[in-house]
Amino acid sequence: MSNRLRSLLTVLGIVIGIASVITLLGIGKGAQLEAEKQVQSLGTNLIFIRPGSQSSSSISFGQGTIQTLTYEDALAVKKNCPAVLNIAPQYSSQLQVQYGEKNTLTTINATEPSYTTIRNFNPAQGRFFNDSESREEARVCVLGDTVAADLFGFSDPLKKKILIRGELFDVIGVMEHKGANSAVDMDDQIFIPLSTGYSALFGLSQVTGRTVKSILVEAKPQEDDLAQFQITNLLRFRHHITAPGEDDFTLRTQSDIMQAAQSITGVFSLLLGTTAGISLVVGGIGIMNIMLVSVTERTREIGVRKAIGAKYSQILSQFVIEATVMSLSGGIVGIILGIVCSNALSSFANWKAVVSLDSIFLSFFVSLGIGLFFGIYPARTAAKLDPIVALRSD
Amino acid sequence: MSEFLVELKDVWRTYNQGVEPVHALQGVSLKIKESEYVAIMGTSGSGKSTLMNLLGCLDRPSQGQYLLDGTDISTRSEDELAEIRNKSVGFVFQQFNLLPSMSALDNVMLPLVYAGMGKEQRTMRAEQALKDLGLGNRIHHKPSELSGGQQQRVAIARSIVNRPRILLADEPTGALDSHTAKEIMSLFTKLTEEGITVILVTHDPETAACARRIVKVRDGRILEDLIIGKVQ
Repeated sequence: MSNRLRSLLTVLGIVIGIASVITLLGIGKGAQLEAEKQVQSLGTNLIFIRPGSQSSSSISFGQGTIQTLTYEDALAVKKNCPAVLNIAPQYSSQLQVQYGEKNTLTTINATEPSYTTIRNFNPAQGRFFNDSESREEARVCVLGDTVAADLFGFSDPLKKKILIRGELFDVIGVMEHKGANSAVDMDDQIFIPLSTGYSALFGLSQVTGRTVKSILVEAKPQEDDLAQFQITNLLRFRHHITAPGEDDFTLRTQSDIMQAAQSITGVFSLLLGTTAGISLVVGGIGIMNIMLVSVTERTREIGVRKAIGAKYSQILSQFVIEATVMSLSGGIVGIILGIVCSNALSSFANWKAVVSLDSIFLSFFVSLGIGLFFGIYPARTAAKLDPIVALRSD
Repeated sequence: MSEFLVELKDVWRTYNQGVEPVHALQGVSLKIKESEYVAIMGTSGSGKSTLMNLLGCLDRPSQGQYLLDGTDISTRSEDELAEIRNKSVGFVFQQFNLLPSMSALDNVMLPLVYAGMGKEQRTMRAEQALKDLGLGNRIHHKPSELSGGQQQRVAIARSIVNRPRILLADEPTGALDSHTAKEIMSLFTKLTEEGITVILVTHDPETAACARRIVKVRDGRILEDLIIGKVQ
């Protein structure tokens, strides 16, 4: 009976190890799918053009480190690149916003009406500004979800006037809730026409040079590589950059961002998996320990078996099979427990954990391997016993 | 082919464990014919256990030759010895040495499992062996549910289920009361009549008296070799 309890406790080590592998890999997979979903929510066939920013391996040291992109560049991209469907230049700045007694610091995002279709980001109330308002430098603004709540609470912001750095703006719409992606909180922004921003807030004109912080480009379907090529050539030409010179702007496509996100979540998964893997090794050592104890306790049995004609390989396989049955049954229970944990986590903790078939197969074969690997040494000890000595033991 | 089933020719067995080598057997020569009933007697330390281990192919001589049914044991590998034990030798121990977690039937089937016999056939053989020994209604009992005599009979069934040439019994009645002991001893007599060579290892003269031939061992040598009954 104590024997059974001991085996059960040993198997529990494997159960916990495998269950954590399944669950943690599930969390990693969930994070990966979430990241992919977020990147897809940016829009479709997107290309981000930014001024030459210092950057190393996908970590940017901040856009606009050098200001090289202009509004005229954006217009030229739209006009001269056939693979480009639509563009939205952006100039943004952190500014103080005021309504009545309420006061907040938020991002003022000056852009053009095309922004809504490119980002697939639309007003929930009211409307976005249109092309004529954009041309006429109208003092209109569209609030992000968070900003609207900060300034107006539960009252209706439409047709109210707010102050942005002391300038009056009409609220004509409130954006839908988008949530934060890895870089910015999409709901903590106020959208105004780019022309208005230049003249009223940022103090830029055609004479001083209308720089932009970024240009959003929507390429034609299946043509993002071509669009990237055309944009690069055009901007190099416009900026007078010749062969050995490096670009003074950077292009990032949606698939670049997707790859970056995937490599980050990949590292994340690997870390989680390794952590769980260590607990499996500990479980395996537990199995080896219990098997060694078992060999010692059953020395006489081994002697009897040898006396009646068991060969080396027959004793060896008996103990290897025992170890494997232990670890494999632990593995199967662990897989079930892992699936249950992942589902519980998804439904209670609001964190997606996705158990893939791969991780189930992996766990199955790993637990099989643990039994073989950690069982072979005790089994060899048993098989090598001298039958005379073994028979004499108590 | 020799007329003897067992033939020891000037066998030495030396252990090199301590500082000085210990000679457990010092030039033992012994011949046993088929279906003989031999008792090997001696006090502890006399070398009778070493002799039994050799006869049972659990061990090999350090020097000399052991022929079992004409084949030389001295030069065989561990696995070959295991196979010879499985096919030609049966063991009966003082402490029965049944596997406690297995039923009587499974215990008796074990040598057949190692011989690689199919399940149906080995079940039949083991059941028959148990029935022959009067345990037909006990085949699914665990050893702990059986009396000492019954356990020893299961052990005997296990030792003969593979139809061995020789049966080695090491103090087979040492853990039994005298009535049961008598039953077991008469069983051995019956087995010799069926053609199995029984070699009894004991220190008890009364037990040894059931045999037809008594070999006395002392200090690793054969002291006496007496025939006390009529050999058929």
